[in-house]
Amino acid sequence: MSTHPARRRAALLVALVGAWVAGSALGATPPARHASAAPLFQLEPAHAEYVPVLDGSKPIYVLVIGSDARPDQAIDSQRADSLHILSINPAEHRASLVGIPRDSYVEIPGQGQNKINAALFYGGPDLVVQTVEQLTGLKMDYWAMTGFASFEQMVDDVDGLVVDVPFAMNDEDSRAFFDPGVQRLDGDDALAFARDRHDLPAGDFGRSENQGRLMVAALAQLKKEFNQDPARLLAWVASFVRNGTTTLSLDEVLDLAFTGTAINANKVENIVLPGGEGMIGGLSVVTLNQESLDTISKDLADDGLLKKANVPPSPNEQLLGG
Amino acid sequence: MTPNRVQRGATKKRRVSLALLIVPIVLVAIGVAILLAMRGGTVPIIGGGDEPAPPFDFIVKPATAISTAPDADEATLSASADEVAQEITPMIDDLYTNAYLDPSNWRHDDYEEVFATFAPDAAATAEQSVETLTLGATAGDVFDTVDPGKSKLSYQVLFDPDGAPETAVVSVIFRATAERKDGTFLAIVSEGEFFLRQVDGWKITAFDVTRDDHEAQPPSPSASPSA
Repeated sequence: MSTHPARRRAALLVALVGAWVAGSALGATPPARHASAAPLFQLEPAHAEYVPVLDGSKPIYVLVIGSDARPDQAIDSQRADSLHILSINPAEHRASLVGIPRDSYVEIPGQGQNKINAALFYGGPDLVVQTVEQLTGLKMDYWAMTGFASFEQMVDDVDGLVVDVPFAMNDEDSRAFFDPGVQRLDGDDALAFARDRHDLPAGDFGRSENQGRLMVAALAQLKKEFNQDPARLLAWVASFVRNGTTTLSLDEVLDLAFTGTAINANKVENIVLPGGEGMIGGLSVVTLNQESLDTISKDLADDGLLKKANVPPSPNEQLLGG
Repeated sequence: MTPNRVQRGATKKRRVSLALLIVPIVLVAIGVAILLAMRGGTVPIIGGGDEPAPPFDFIVKPATAISTAPDADEATLSASADEVAQEITPMIDDLYTNAYLDPSNWRHDDYEEVFATFAPDAAATAEQSVETLTLGATAGDVFDTVDPGKSKLSYQVLFDPDGAPETAVVSVIFRATAERKDGTFLAIVSEGEFFLRQVDGWKITAFDVTRDDHEAQPPSPSASPSA
């Protein structure tokens, strides 16, 4: 018996409606999805008249100052024995780190020629900023400073830093006794690692590079911990605010920390300005290589990043086997 | 003029053909509408557009205070952190209710209320992540019902050196079970962190949220929240 055409049409319609209803509900479980948004950065100018661009199109320059103040001393009226320019390119999620040897013999505004580390003693962090700006032509957006005890505490507050110690270190003065390799350093060890210069062939130049190594390790660890648990950012920020000195508000520290979590630490160029050691007026000083200084400063000025061609040899080259 | 037999026959045949075509269509349409209505679907011709959202509250763990002052009074900060949590929690309850549970939102792809919880910069990104942060733009085509499950919040609150709350990080685990129109079930899991700051009241300024849904068995008839 043949089916009536109208019944066939109705059956087809039911089937189509059924298929539509079913079809809209069928399909595989969707894969896990992920959404995130972190503010890139919002910055407070270090200079009242200067407002950095806030859209990520401009690099950020932070002068990181390590004071040699001991626990019972004010950190902003001693010598700046560790000086680094951290330049960040937020748009490319990259950064460069330039160490300035503490004995660099430079013009300190209002003070004449002297070692750059004396600028902190003469005029606090603001004079250090002015000195570095005059030396490099780069405008610092921020400065941040810490001393021995606060640095140690800062490292302990974040449960230590995982550092790839590049070579064996044995220095009685700084108490740096390390085998090469990846290891977690507590505050005491990290300070020793940052201070050791006596068993480094290039002395303070090699030490400055190692200090940069610690900062790169900190950036890598911040990023890693943030990716595992974003709330860890608060512990890092709190540690910095408790133990450091800065012109930034807590909001701005948070924004900068967010920016830090986006940086690829593996691509950070960590260098030290090259120069030669000598004596001036009875002082042991470093005369910076003017050509290198000009090249590096100019290179940093456009996008905050150093081109490979402008990266000077590592001062620890001999120990690194390079 | 009276139609002749042949003409009457032709007219009658056309009426029969039309009836045969239209009646089953109407019957099928009514049947589908009844079927959908019985399963909770939206059928405008028979009403049902004002379904309430199921009641929902996160379970909140005690908040953790993070101090930026070296000599902060931990007990005071801890109490303040709990106050911050109490202040923010209804907002997160509403956020997830609006994003996943309120049928008047997910049936009509209307998540505007969700994004009001975000600060302007974060809202722009959130709106691009609608499939992760809400039940989804096509949820109304796919699901019949969504019921909340056991969901938890935990807080970490950062205080400024003067002891004022600066930033809160809310860790969220949200669970719900959605029944599809074909009778199968999907376990919805939204997990992540929201950073909130005081921007004209507490607002989400950053977030990191993952959706990890998976197929689920129908709920056991004996299972109930009080069981």
